[in-house]
Amino acid sequence: MNEIRNILRESVNRLFSDALDWETLSSIEENGWPEELWRQVTEQGIHLVLADEASGGMQGVWADAYPIIRACGQHAVPLPIPEAIVASWLAQQAGYTLPDGVPGLIPQPLTSKNFTAGKITLGEMVVPWGRNATYLVGLSSAQEGSELIVALTKDTSCKEAYNLGLDPRDEFTSPLPILARLPIDVEIDVVHWLGAMIRAAQIAGAGATCLELAVNYSCEREQFGKTLSRFQVIQHHLADLAGTMASVDAMSAATFQTLDRLGMSNQRRDARFEIAAAKCRASEGVDKLTGLSHQVHGAIGFTYEYGLHFFTRKLWAWRAEFGGVAEWGEYLGRVACDRGGEKIWHTITE
Amino acid sequence: MLTEKLHFEPYELPASLTPLREAVRDFLAQELQSHSLVQRSNSWDAYDPKFSAKLGAKGWLGMTLPEQYGGHGRSAFERYVVTEECLAAGAPAGFHWIADRQSGPLIARYGSETQKAELIPKITAGEACFCLGMSEPNSGSDLASVKSRAKRVTDGWLVNGTKVWTTAAHQAHYMIGLFRTDNGSDSKHSGLSQFLIDMNKEGITPRPIKDLTGRRHFNEVSFENALLPLDSLIGEEGQGWKQVTEELAFERSGPERYLSCFVLLTQLIDVVKDDLSSATMARIGSQIAWVATLRNMSISVAGLLNEGQDPTLAAAIVKDLGCQFEQGLPSLAQELAQLRPTLEGHGIDYQQVLGNLVQLAPSFSLRGGTSEIMRGIIARGLEVR
Repeated sequence: MNEIRNILRESVNRLFSDALDWETLSSIEENGWPEELWRQVTEQGIHLVLADEASGGMQGVWADAYPIIRACGQHAVPLPIPEAIVASWLAQQAGYTLPDGVPGLIPQPLTSKNFTAGKITLGEMVVPWGRNATYLVGLSSAQEGSELIVALTKDTSCKEAYNLGLDPRDEFTSPLPILARLPIDVEIDVVHWLGAMIRAAQIAGAGATCLELAVNYSCEREQFGKTLSRFQVIQHHLADLAGTMASVDAMSAATFQTLDRLGMSNQRRDARFEIAAAKCRASEGVDKLTGLSHQVHGAIGFTYEYGLHFFTRKLWAWRAEFGGVAEWGEYLGRVACDRGGEKIWHTITE
Repeated sequence: MLTEKLHFEPYELPASLTPLREAVRDFLAQELQSHSLVQRSNSWDAYDPKFSAKLGAKGWLGMTLPEQYGGHGRSAFERYVVTEECLAAGAPAGFHWIADRQSGPLIARYGSETQKAELIPKITAGEACFCLGMSEPNSGSDLASVKSRAKRVTDGWLVNGTKVWTTAAHQAHYMIGLFRTDNGSDSKHSGLSQFLIDMNKEGITPRPIKDLTGRRHFNEVSFENALLPLDSLIGEEGQGWKQVTEELAFERSGPERYLSCFVLLTQLIDVVKDDLSSATMARIGSQIAWVATLRNMSISVAGLLNEGQDPTLAAAIVKDLGCQFEQGLPSLAQELAQLRPTLEGHGIDYQQVLGNLVQLAPSFSLRGGTSEIMRGIIARGLEVR
């Protein structure tokens, strides 16, 4: 791993672990948006890891963003940092500098139906952190190719809801004024794909914390006169959990790197294969990540007071967001069947 | 942090390896034309000295072994490409498999000058078949409890005891065997040594053991006052446990840990490809995601090996996950295709491959260390053991 990436990973992890203990997480669940933490994040430019220097960014690549997004999962960070990273990447592709404030993501491509008199309507689209966003970034199909759409959320009310991890998942019921509309050279559906990729990385991070909590708890808790960790059956649960976590992390990390190499263009073999595999593996892994960590913890892990649930509830939510095993497995299955048995190996190794 | 130890740093095989991959693919397409699919589903169990010699002639064996002894001095990644292509195509790799994967590297690292000079050229040419004398009738997973003994006598080492589950012992030219050389040592992990054994020596008798499929590929090997020359010791006397542990890491992380059923997966894809139901596609796709994941992990371990780092923990994880994936495949293949498994020579190719792998699958989590042993190693990595 390169040096800068290591430093970045360490500083981000330090920031989050200092700021977010269980008590803080529970108070954020009760009171909402942690403005002070968001201020620190933006001050350090963490959400602009991919933006160029002119936009105040670090000019990084996706592989640099991986440890940050993974850390967001690892610390159950209740902020749309991964979404902001995607938004800033999109802006960069259109040569646009995002304004100050909190960027949100429009999860699905817009069509002409979404446009009315200089405004957009999002219908029943679920927007992560919609209520907290200053503006939303998304894509729409234009006559030739795609367009970047930036829409203001100021003074617009939204129908507030949450996912299982108590992160806001809102719907905008009234039209939003368009702030910017620029041509962009990306495929229309990339937000969905990048969304799947960031959720896979967050799953890897939250899974790592589930493992860490389970290991630590098993070394402290005594039953039958010895710590749980002394029981072989517990050791095997932990090993299984560790292997699952490692598999999710390995595929996600490799995917961010492949995206740097192959990009996202339907014209040739691109990183879509890896993204689908990463989200499929991550979503499939959630069963073991949550099931085994809860089993090792026993009843204490099922209480609100003990913080395992901050991670497992987010895992259950992220498993389904931007497509789960059914969607990404089906995509990969179709790739395999289109190419045929012999040729799928060529795709895997390309 | 604990979980950082479990991070598999991604490594992308450089584009410069593509010509090698294509050359191997072309070669295999020619060579395997006449091989039936069920033959291919045996890949690294299938013994074919002619094929191994051809692979050797191409320069694709002993690739990482030092040039000064007749190896090719190439990177672990180049070897990786050749190996994974052979496995994916179901090439009969059994003859050279153990030599190329672990005995060669072991000899290169710990062997004497004579051993290196004699064996590395043979391994590289695909002319040497090796077997591994590890398990014994009373020492299975508890490998360190081996009792077979090599006793130092004036003109060599006198070996007595029995090894078991020894793949290819009846065909192999050499065995690398783990024997007790010191009974008096305090710990069972010390007092073990590794030996290079010429299988033609007097006093060594392999007896094939029929496996549940009716085939005879593994053996019981008895040693009755077999006298080995003095220079048959590999590495240091008493360091056998350390050496064998390193060697097993080579054995546990390779692409064979997720590609031994690959022929079944490719066949399954062809059988179900007209069934366009989303549910079927999703289940196939989930297997593809597994292959992609395990491949990334396995290449990452090749990176550790290339840098000379200790891959024990990572290798155990790859092997345990690879078994989970591979052992699930036969039942999935049966369920999705709705075809019954058959014996070789009956039914369509798919049924024969399925019949073969349904029966072989239990061995996946036994050979090269059981899943329980792998999980023990992982637990130790987590510092709970």
